[in-house]
Amino acid sequence: MTAVIALARFRLTGYVASHRALQPLIALLALLAVLYAGAVPAGQEIGATADSAAMLVPVLAWAARGLLDTEPDEQRSVALSALGPRELVSGLLAAFASLLALAAIAEAALLFRLAASPTLTVLLTGVWLHLLSAAAGLALGALTSRPILPSPAVSTIALILGYLSMLMISMAGARWLTVPVMAWMRDAHHGVLLSGLPLLTVQSLLWPAIGLAAYVWLRRTRP
Amino acid sequence: MRIASLSFRYGRRDPWVLSDAGLVLDPGDVVEVTGPNGTGKSTLLRLVAGLLRPVRGSVQDRPRVVGYAPERFPADQPFTVASYLRHMAAVRRVSSESIGRWSERLGMDHLLGQRLPDLSKGSAHKVGLAQALLAEPGLLVLDEPFAGLDAATRAELPRIIGEISARGGIVVVSDHQGDLRAFPGLRRCEVRDRAVRELEPVEEVGETALTVLEVAVAASRASDLADRLRAEGCTVHIKGHTKGHITGGVAREAAG
Repeated sequence: MTAVIALARFRLTGYVASHRALQPLIALLALLAVLYAGAVPAGQEIGATADSAAMLVPVLAWAARGLLDTEPDEQRSVALSALGPRELVSGLLAAFASLLALAAIAEAALLFRLAASPTLTVLLTGVWLHLLSAAAGLALGALTSRPILPSPAVSTIALILGYLSMLMISMAGARWLTVPVMAWMRDAHHGVLLSGLPLLTVQSLLWPAIGLAAYVWLRRTRP
Repeated sequence: MRIASLSFRYGRRDPWVLSDAGLVLDPGDVVEVTGPNGTGKSTLLRLVAGLLRPVRGSVQDRPRVVGYAPERFPADQPFTVASYLRHMAAVRRVSSESIGRWSERLGMDHLLGQRLPDLSKGSAHKVGLAQALLAEPGLLVLDEPFAGLDAATRAELPRIIGEISARGGIVVVSDHQGDLRAFPGLRRCEVRDRAVRELEPVEEVGETALTVLEVAVAASRASDLADRLRAEGCTVHIKGHTKGHITGGVAREAAG
């Protein structure tokens, strides 16, 4: 396992040292500036958390794709020769770690802009929803990364369409057919998020799990 | 290690690159893969190294530790040579002391502090070789390893390959320039028409006819030239000095 972590660390270092890490970070800061131009009023905390998690998905997907694509293709071959299929686990691990950093910034900005001091429930719900958002972003980012979609134009369009389809399918009320990002926001603003959280979690993790399984399967023939 | 009925193409609509190819590699084998450009040498090497999955057939009993040096080292990475190799040593779970050993042997001590994107092609190539050698591989796959190397490293690389072979490692090399032709016991395979064909060993072709050349060279360049000629498969004896020159005998195989 140590070799997997060493490779993840190498990739994270390369990602941070290249300018690519800045792109989603700047997008995130712009998004946060819009979301929290005004303070979040008391009683709206969970709703604001859900909004943040839902809107973060494309930024996180972009970040995950950026991390996976930073490394030149031949370097990925070198990593593959060293680790075999575990190279893939290491890539996903590094990408998820970078998403956690971005999600933590979003969560911190939210807490900073709350009018009332946050309760433990608000804190934990925020962390949980942002983890679900990171899982969705990881799957979408991995499926649009260069080994799967070599053309940057196609991959960008696929990433945007992927997120739009999440929004539209979940807006139509279908909770099992996609990551139900609209349901996160709707339930949170209607005060029913916490009571239905276990089921919502299963629904929210189903498609990222299928997406990551598809990524692993596709990478067998796309080194 | 056994490559059995291996067929490969990059996509369903692409033509077959290899079809029903087979090769058995025993411990200690050093194999030179030759063939015209674009016939699938690099593809075969990547299949051997496990970077590509055969569409049909299989590669069995591949040694556990694989070292792979690509034809073009990906130098566009934000690391210095030393930090890149330290990361690779950590990934390979070997001590970073081996970095010093290999960079000395490959004549790249002075490059350790340089950034990868600033390296010349030959220097970047050495970094690619060093990372492949770090882990004492049981299977070493080198794609055009001699391209762009300086004379001293061209002479050193066959010695390194010899050491890996001597401890039972398998070395598979694609080589256009024929730098390994003089390697004792070298097996040669040609990739052509989607098949892998074993060629006659070089010694049998060339061992009969030897010619002796006398070469006079400035003393300061003697050892460099000797290394280069040895790398080309000549036997070189340095004889003596005549007014700042060194004369020596070069025995060159007339054929091969």
